[in-house]
Amino acid sequence: MLPLSLLRTAQNHPMLVELKNGETYNGHLVACDNWMNINLREVICTSRDGDRFWRMPECYIRGSTIKYLRIPDEVIDMVKEEVVAKSRGRGGGGGRGRGRGGGGRGGAFGRGGRGGKGDNRRPNRGGGPMRS
Amino acid sequence: MANALESYIDHTVSVITNDGRQIVGTLKGFDQTINLILDESHERVYSNTQGVEQVVLGLYIIRGDNIAVVGEVDEDTDTALDLSNIKAEPLNPVVH
Repeated sequence: MLPLSLLRTAQNHPMLVELKNGETYNGHLVACDNWMNINLREVICTSRDGDRFWRMPECYIRGSTIKYLRIPDEVIDMVKEEVVAKSRGRGGGGGRGRGRGGGGRGGAFGRGGRGGKGDNRRPNRGGGPMRS
Repeated sequence: MANALESYIDHTVSVITNDGRQIVGTLKGFDQTINLILDESHERVYSNTQGVEQVVLGLYIIRGDNIAVVGEVDEDTDTALDLSNIKAEPLNPVVH
């Protein structure tokens, strides 16, 4: 599991972020990106020594300034669910894959080293017309 | 080399951070910048005057920038430790 997948799953959950300068930010994660830049809402900022506090409705933190993030324990189980749901979606749902399949991308899969996957998808695509 | 951490996945690891803390937990994931996911983690706080204090932290993402050392923990050896009788000087932060 990738740390940034876990972070993405933690969206809308409360979290604690400690920066390299020792300040901590408590708030709800609104959004994050591939650089770990994060957007928090309803934030309480605590100074390095822990005796001064600031409340702010929102803040944006540059990823490179973060030391660590503390996330609610249950979030890690939700990542697994998401991964399972995705793989199910690709295999069974197939709808999206079929839509793209006719285009250049299908060809690209065939040419690339991922021929195996392409082969697996074809039967799915074949299944499509039968349904419609 | 890139696979070195792969073998630690779902094992207990000890992480020394640049600010001189030791965090022990189960490694659930990592990426190319050595950001780590530690589950059921706790910090071990060392002191010269009393035994090791364990602070429960829970689920953590530690940013790779802040990581100095990652080591696999032998759980049998670790559980055999009598932490309450271990006294040690806390580590200093990494100096750049």
